[in-house]
Amino acid sequence: MKPVSSSAARRPCRDEKGFSLVEAIGGLIIFTLMMAALTYGTSSLFKFQAQPQVSYNAQTYSQAPSFGAFQQAVSLHTRFTQSVDQADSVLLFGGARSHPTLDPNGPSPAVATTFAATSLAAAAGSDPLQGYSSWDQRQLNASQLDPYLNGTADPADFTILTIQGQTRITSITQQRRATATINGQALALYAVTYQPIDWSSGLPVSGALASYYIYYGANEDTWSQPPGATHFWYRTDPVWDRDQEGPARVVFADPYVLAGQDPRAQVTAVSRFVYFLPQLR
Amino acid sequence: MSRPTPTGFRDNRGMVAAAVLLFSVVAVMILLANFNLNYAVGESGDAFDSFNSQTVEKNGVAQIVKESILAVRETATADSANAISTEIQNRLSGMFPSGQPISVTLVAAPGVPANPFFPFGVPATAVQPAYFSSSPRGVAGMGNLFTSLAVQGPTTDLGRLTYSFTRASTAAPNENWTYVVNADLFAVPLTNVDVVAYGLPATGMIPTQAPTVPVGTFGTGVSTLVVTSNDPGNDPTAYPDLYAGVTPEKLPYQFRNAVSFSWNAYEFLWSTPYQNALISLAEAEADPGNTAPTVLNPTPPTGAVYDFSSGNNPTIAGVIEAGNSISINCGAVQSQVIVVVDAEGIGAVTITGSAGTGNPFILLIRNTAGNLGKTAVTFTGSNNRPAIFYLENSNVAFVGSPQIQGALFLDPSTVAAGTVTWFGHFSFYAPASPLGSLHIGINDSATVKAALSSLAPRVLLVSTTATRQ
Repeated sequence: MKPVSSSAARRPCRDEKGFSLVEAIGGLIIFTLMMAALTYGTSSLFKFQAQPQVSYNAQTYSQAPSFGAFQQAVSLHTRFTQSVDQADSVLLFGGARSHPTLDPNGPSPAVATTFAATSLAAAAGSDPLQGYSSWDQRQLNASQLDPYLNGTADPADFTILTIQGQTRITSITQQRRATATINGQALALYAVTYQPIDWSSGLPVSGALASYYIYYGANEDTWSQPPGATHFWYRTDPVWDRDQEGPARVVFADPYVLAGQDPRAQVTAVSRFVYFLPQLR
Repeated sequence: MSRPTPTGFRDNRGMVAAAVLLFSVVAVMILLANFNLNYAVGESGDAFDSFNSQTVEKNGVAQIVKESILAVRETATADSANAISTEIQNRLSGMFPSGQPISVTLVAAPGVPANPFFPFGVPATAVQPAYFSSSPRGVAGMGNLFTSLAVQGPTTDLGRLTYSFTRASTAAPNENWTYVVNADLFAVPLTNVDVVAYGLPATGMIPTQAPTVPVGTFGTGVSTLVVTSNDPGNDPTAYPDLYAGVTPEKLPYQFRNAVSFSWNAYEFLWSTPYQNALISLAEAEADPGNTAPTVLNPTPPTGAVYDFSSGNNPTIAGVIEAGNSISINCGAVQSQVIVVVDAEGIGAVTITGSAGTGNPFILLIRNTAGNLGKTAVTFTGSNNRPAIFYLENSNVAFVGSPQIQGALFLDPSTVAAGTVTWFGHFSFYAPASPLGSLHIGINDSATVKAALSSLAPRVLLVSTTATRQ
């Protein structure tokens, strides 16, 4: 009987049954390293694909579609909706048709983003029957608002103030659109901010700012209902003081929708964040 | 040459298997990540849509409560005799028909308090409301459509009623919850709004457009109210932006409170029950001018109703008769309510103002003669004693440009001419505006509003806010 070497005895075992202990440990180490490298690479890839960012006016904007910005938008709009729901009146500055005869086409200026007042002092004691429109409120509070209403307006720009009583501002919501060429790319950049002001103690306390900043390629910023505000009117009657504004259509930029992504599309994209916003509650 | 043995490949097939496994794992990870991302966006979007629909739903329930309260207590000619729970349930059934996945059930429905006002009851004292105040309760948060009318003068807070509902969804049991609706009720004297050009949707018409107003009619700070058609074809001040163009025209809900004030309240004001209630009270007045019983005349006529068609009128303090004419001296009036009835349209009334102040009173001129004739009413001299003048089917003249404190209510058939400066309230039927012949300058007066608040008809204003519990 021919003796069988120990190596000869092991070979069939390795060939048929897998790795030696050293190979297994080595393989495990290599597998771990590769997995770590791939995970890192994949996450970097996702990060790059989902949220390329640019800096504009010292603010970082994420490219749409951006899931992170979308989450921020949902949070912002939930809080914004609650503020509107609890307001006595809602003032909207900016957009088209802020007055049907004096400013029929717009865009009218939004309140500057530096505006941080917590009350509308000039409105105190005024006749609320004569403040039935944002236009009236703009006139009523001219001394306070005029310095903030002098910017060049983009059609997508607007400011929304929610008011309790006649004077207490409970939130300031801003949308601004800017265009810029960055890294050779023409971009449309949107900044949306919501600043709540809590009056529950009787004194104004500014809450945490909610915001989202996104940008689209210029060819992706063509919406069927473009971001911005459109005022609608029942009537203007200076004799009987009936400047009666109806609900306004307000369209916020949507971080997860590319409006002009497919120009051949039969249905053009619409923002999720569209409101038919009554001025009076 | 020997063939290479497959041993090398076989030796490495474990590594290959590991590489394939690794590749598969990465591929699956990428797919899962993509799926999760899109799923998360979808879920977040659905959650936000659901949140928005809940906001709309709860506000719909709040509106149901408001309309139900108004159905049983609005200052109008026809209020429902149903319990508030029945009214709410009827409307709920319309919004949430049975057999649908979502149902909303009324759990608690407190009764609606009465809204007593003169002459049907003694109204609670009215005080000037404030937006932010603990006493009286602040009105901030009740909506500007409510507060814009509530803060025009002294009002009575009728309190807050709390209604609760359970909301259930068979399709989404995790969306079962409770809605709580707070209803704030305020009784507002009609005289708080300085000028009302009213409409009568049931017995007359609504104004198609606001009356022309001469320059100088409305003084500084005067509040005005008129609700007209939103059809640009009717009212040149209207725009087609939101006009629906349905027949009959339906006004948006934004105008609900204004309609309570400027349409429904006036239907009630000129209705028989309100007029008769004033007459009944005047008949029961213990007027100090009434003739005392004597042996010869043990039952002389009493009260403070003067009827031109009667030959047996009481003597009324401040009222002097001369044939078909009477004169009323505001400074000498003692009764709280004086009624002049002119069923044949044959009478003439001269109202002389009072230089001094005094308790407010009501003067009703009740002319049911129709086309037979109007009662001639002449105001002479300025009046500093606040009074409410209800003038029906009258021909009003102002002599000597007097200055008058009070409330002047003109019914649809009353005409007026002359020049007057008025401090207080003025209302007229918008489709028959007297402003072409009447040169009236109206001024806001907090003093007059306060003085008349106990005698003026009151409009029920309701604000409802809903929260999800």
